[in-house]
Amino acid sequence: MEARMISANVMQQKEVQKYFTVMCESVIRSHLTMTAIFLTLSEGYKTEELAKEMSVFLQAKLRKTDLLFQLDNNAGWGIIFLQSGEVEARAFLNRIFDILKKEYPQLTINASITEIRNNNITFDALITANEQILSKISNEAWVIEEITDYQQPPTELVKVSIIEENDIFRHVLEVAINQLEVPHFSLEVSSYEDGYSFWQSGNYQSAHTHLIIVNDILPRKNGFELLHSLRMMPNGNKFIIYMMSERNSEAVALNAYESGVDEFIIKPFNLRLIEAKIKRTFARLWP
Amino acid sequence: MMIELKISTLLWIIAVLLFMLLLFLLYIIIQHNKEGRFNRRRDAYVEAYTGDWYDFLIRDTDLSASVIPHNKAQVTAVERIFLSYLKNLQHPEIEKKIQDFANVYLKDFYIEDLKSRLWSIRMNALYRIADFKINSLMDNLESFEKRNISKEEYFQLFKIYSVLQPSKFLEKLDEVQITYSESEYRRLFILLSDNIFTQVFDNFYHYDKNIQFAIIDTAAVKRNMLFISKLKELLADDSLEIKIRALKGLYEIGIVDEIETYIPFVSSEVWEVRLMVAKIFRYAPLSYTYTYLEQLIQDENWWVRSQAAKTIIEDRHGVEMLQQFIVSADDQFAVELAQETIMRRQGGK
Repeated sequence: MEARMISANVMQQKEVQKYFTVMCESVIRSHLTMTAIFLTLSEGYKTEELAKEMSVFLQAKLRKTDLLFQLDNNAGWGIIFLQSGEVEARAFLNRIFDILKKEYPQLTINASITEIRNNNITFDALITANEQILSKISNEAWVIEEITDYQQPPTELVKVSIIEENDIFRHVLEVAINQLEVPHFSLEVSSYEDGYSFWQSGNYQSAHTHLIIVNDILPRKNGFELLHSLRMMPNGNKFIIYMMSERNSEAVALNAYESGVDEFIIKPFNLRLIEAKIKRTFARLWP
Repeated sequence: MMIELKISTLLWIIAVLLFMLLLFLLYIIIQHNKEGRFNRRRDAYVEAYTGDWYDFLIRDTDLSASVIPHNKAQVTAVERIFLSYLKNLQHPEIEKKIQDFANVYLKDFYIEDLKSRLWSIRMNALYRIADFKINSLMDNLESFEKRNISKEEYFQLFKIYSVLQPSKFLEKLDEVQITYSESEYRRLFILLSDNIFTQVFDNFYHYDKNIQFAIIDTAAVKRNMLFISKLKELLADDSLEIKIRALKGLYEIGIVDEIETYIPFVSSEVWEVRLMVAKIFRYAPLSYTYTYLEQLIQDENWWVRSQAAKTIIEDRHGVEMLQQFIVSADDQFAVELAQETIMRRQGGK
């Protein structure tokens, strides 16, 4: 086994406990899925020597962003995949199972996968849930079970501001966006007739992700001025900015993208198009 | 010389002037109230029915009879709503619904407006007929055209025909008596479908210069590959202006399928022609065009030299080619220009 050459420096269960809450909070803040894998050897193979060998083997197969730890009482191993979902975790398990079956024909292993996309879970609850599911399949071999209780991301409040001078079209956009169903997000829509009234409202002063749909030409504080002010803010990246324009010009579009818009939409446009763009933008936030 | 006036005469004059002033003030107050009432009725309609119109136009629900406008203020409100949708949203279904509604419920208002003695009211009606594509008014427009109408109204009629009855538009374009500017023709042509515009282009030599120039410029703006061969044919024209505009159009379209057509222009006596060729070569591989660009970078005209250098440097191997040129060329002006272009490119990175 090539991994024998690498020395194992595996964390213990209680050490990981300290970081787990931080990792869960990071899942919410960064919209990145985290997945925990638990592996157990079948009874009769739990020798200290094999355990060490397995630790080295697993460590060698992981990426630098993955965290391997040993469960208490030599019960097995846990791996936390930061930035990976259930599909990648399952592929990893299938890959190592294939290698282990060939190299250790006498060995049998079971595994469980828990995809985590919310912060409603404690480390103890994670351990208990996986212990229970693994004990149920302790008589079987090379089985992968899945816990799906923590897959649903919490519904996140997102602000949407529509800044458009024409009151009738502003109403059209407001109604259309209010009726939009975006999975995992609830939209708080507000509208303004110009950049100045938006700026005065102070609605942009919050930590929420904020979608801004703004016309390029406005009576007071136009779209480009607003864009510049928002992008200059220390947390300017929380703004997703769509700029609408009647000017069908490549030069204007280029200028807009270079100044930091995320979408440049030429009027007249299809309402379904802007709805699809919004859905796609939010779908990308929770990959 | 002193003018002698009796006190009583003076008082009479003051009284008459005061009376006139009073009348004038009264007129202004009445007009102001009338306008205020009109605006309130218009705004009340918009306020009350914006939701109904949204449901009808976007969500496909039935339209209630209450939205049918009964007076000019309500018509203005409906116009505001329709124009807000048409200018901001592009949905063929919405356009159709607006057209159908206007054909039934707004038509009569516009027939009346076309009879108005006021030019602005007639013009406004013509604009709305074009915006809402009210095709049930074609006969009325036919008789309207026979009246003594202004140049602007005739232009607006042209616009309506181009949208609603292209065959008639082509007929009218052939027999147009009024001279419009190039930009006015461009505004008309840009609205035409590719099919109708192609028919206009086919008749290129039937029209006067303003129309010809507008045709070339519109073809460039439309950026359609269909027009490449037609523009190339114009390169053989005797008129220098047409030749240069056709080259500019080909540059705007930005597709060079072969370079043979352009090679004779490299040695043209007119620097504007050589400049356009240097621009067009940007869209062809440098391996094909380098020989000609090398000639153009040594041109006597600064614009041509500078453009040739810019075109070369746009290519992946452009810097390399210019460096080779610097080493081998004798023309000191061209060498300096090449060095400057390389420096500018590297500085910009």
